[in-house]
Amino acid sequence: MIAIEHLTKRIGETTLVDDVSMVVDTGTITVVVGTSGAGKSTLLRMINRLITPTSGRVLIDGQDTMDIPEDRLRHRIGYVIQGNGLFPHRTVAGNIATVPRLLGWDQKRIRRRVEELLDLFQLDPAEFANKFPRHLSGGQQQRVGVARALAAEPRLLLMDEPFGALDPIIRGKAQADLIAIQRRFGTTIVLVTHDMEEAFHLGDRIAVMNDAQLLQYDTPAQLLTRPAAGFVERLVGSSDRPFRLLSLAKVRDAMEPGDAPGEPIDPDVNLRDALSRLIWAGADRLPVAHGNDTATAHISVSGILSHGRPPQ
Amino acid sequence: MPDTTRSRASSVRPSLDRLGALVTLCVVLALWLAPFVSVRANRIVAGQPLTAIEALPVSAAAALWAVVLIVAAVALLVRSPWIRLITSVGGLLSLSVTVGFAASVLTPAGDSFARVSPASGFWFLTLGMALLAADSVTRLNFTPGLRLAALALAALALWLVIASGAWDDLSLMKEYASRSDSFGGAVRQHLVLALGSLAGAVITGVPLGILCHRLPALRALILPALNVIQTIPSIALFGILMVPLGFLAATVPLAYAMGVRGIGTAPAVIALFLYSLLPIVANTAVGLAQVSPSVVDAARGMGMSRWQRLFAIEIPLALPVVLAGIRIVLVQNLGLAAVAALIGGGGLGTFIFQGIGQTAIDLVLLGALPIVLMAFVAAIVLDAMVDLAGGARA
Ligand SMILES: Nc1ncnc2c1ncn2[C@@H]1O[C@H](COP(=O)(O)OP(=O)(O)OP(=O)(O)O)[C@@H](O)[C@H]1O
Ligand SMILES: [Mg+2]
Repeated sequence: MIAIEHLTKRIGETTLVDDVSMVVDTGTITVVVGTSGAGKSTLLRMINRLITPTSGRVLIDGQDTMDIPEDRLRHRIGYVIQGNGLFPHRTVAGNIATVPRLLGWDQKRIRRRVEELLDLFQLDPAEFANKFPRHLSGGQQQRVGVARALAAEPRLLLMDEPFGALDPIIRGKAQADLIAIQRRFGTTIVLVTHDMEEAFHLGDRIAVMNDAQLLQYDTPAQLLTRPAAGFVERLVGSSDRPFRLLSLAKVRDAMEPGDAPGEPIDPDVNLRDALSRLIWAGADRLPVAHGNDTATAHISVSGILSHGRPPQ
Repeated sequence: MPDTTRSRASSVRPSLDRLGALVTLCVVLALWLAPFVSVRANRIVAGQPLTAIEALPVSAAAALWAVVLIVAAVALLVRSPWIRLITSVGGLLSLSVTVGFAASVLTPAGDSFARVSPASGFWFLTLGMALLAADSVTRLNFTPGLRLAALALAALALWLVIASGAWDDLSLMKEYASRSDSFGGAVRQHLVLALGSLAGAVITGVPLGILCHRLPALRALILPALNVIQTIPSIALFGILMVPLGFLAATVPLAYAMGVRGIGTAPAVIALFLYSLLPIVANTAVGLAQVSPSVVDAARGMGMSRWQRLFAIEIPLALPVVLAGIRIVLVQNLGLAAVAALIGGGGLGTFIFQGIGQTAIDLVLLGALPIVLMAFVAAIVLDAMVDLAGGARA
């Protein structure tokens, strides 16, 4: 658990982060969104002390980060920045091995870990371990950047616009990878982005910042249905708010008993995708089933639509 | 698309032809009109210029003409860089053997005063062929390793020509023969001056460059100061140093015991060292400044300490630029070290200034040619090192 308490950063007259307090639960993804210059990066970089707070403190599992020597603190926290910051003079394996080497792991353990991570990110070790970053595509470099941050098995991962430079397809893939890895290792992730779509897709909770202040810190559904007046409302209050809401819920949340004709839908599909299936099929209802199981439930257009507005 | 390729090719072609035409013109005119060698009764009188036809027996002259015409034709008509390279290297080898042969033919038997030296025609032929060879090498785009191998081959060829005695009757080799006991020492002293000052400049200049990078205030102080030193003419700087060093030697026995004198090696090395500082310090600072901030940020974010960052990330990434500074310094020092002879610093400059005093051009060349050669070798070796250092991420 990370507890951020009254964190403030001032440089001269300007306030970059103004009295921010929030709690990030272990094993969750928290996304920080806001316009450019809102202070998102500053907030993130105060967690691993790349920036020293003017006042306030950060507790990781109850321990004040100021009590941990800064290098040791950073060895324990994965850090990914936009444009990945890979070391151009080191191979992929050398890049990933950075923190394990700083920690003095033995060669065999490092090699095993590097191969494990490359496998995890679907980069064949035989092909990629000895390549230099400049020989990789943007998407591959980004994966190596995340693998490097995960090398020493950190419990906490900080990511500053990690997918900013990727095209939409690779970006979607990278987000899916990140969710899979987070589920598998239970890593706590704090991720900065200014892409609302990404925030709703990844975040267990979303922190909205503007002008150095934390305006709202809530679950995506709360953010959509009960946005704080003013900036947050304008930020999430666009015409596609119902669709965002739909993509947060699953078919299993909206299904009704009884069979229906047609191609079955998986209960883990989100409602937004289910609605487009229904529209495309020209049907009013479709059966819900896992793979080839026989359907005992169905999903209907009206059932879906009721999830696209705030609960009364 | 095909159109753009074609237009690019045709825009390259005229410039290719220009170099080829220039080389052709240069070698043919040089062989036809300019003197190939010059013959003098002794080492200081004016010489009598002879063209290749006048200087060589008919068969040898014909052979030389054939070689030169082949080189000219290849330069004009053939585009393949490999063929151009092989032809021009072959031409250079035949040229070097022929000039030695001309010297033996023209030297009267038993006459140890007569001097035969290459004349303008020979130098233009060499220049033309070397130009062709250099252009081909550039276009072949050799890897650094291959360039070093080619350099080693060239050195071997030069050594073979000299060791075979083919040049023994040339004036330069005669001059060498009469100085052979001091030549090695002069070369060694020249290297001590150039490399010693370089080593000192690297040892102090790199840390200074790092400091300049870290402390902009220091940078604003140091770089202009070093810039001023660069503008002092070498002779003046040697002169300026003679006074304090002479004083030091006279008053501090330890300094005297360590070899510090107002004249000689000490002021020479110190002057060269001072000239070397600017390129080393400036390039170190610039090299560090161009390391991408996101890379440094990532290193910091992963918990690398200041020193770990410096040695594992920043210096390796700045290395190509630092090496480029070392290259500048080494080439510059090899040349400047010649001036050290004027204040008793020794080195190859000794021959140059003695030669000027005696109006013996061969003696000047005996000092100057090895300097040119060493600077050339240093440039190639360090360029290769720069490429190797930057190769992985270029
Ligand atoms: N060293 C500094 N001195 C003064 N102002 C700074 C400094 N660093 C950042 N700022 C300012 O502080 C504000 C917050 O910066 P920060 O990098 O945290 O924004 P951000 O939300 O991450 O923006 P972006 O989305 O563009 O990355 C910006 O207006 C920035 O110009
Ligand atoms: Mg930012």
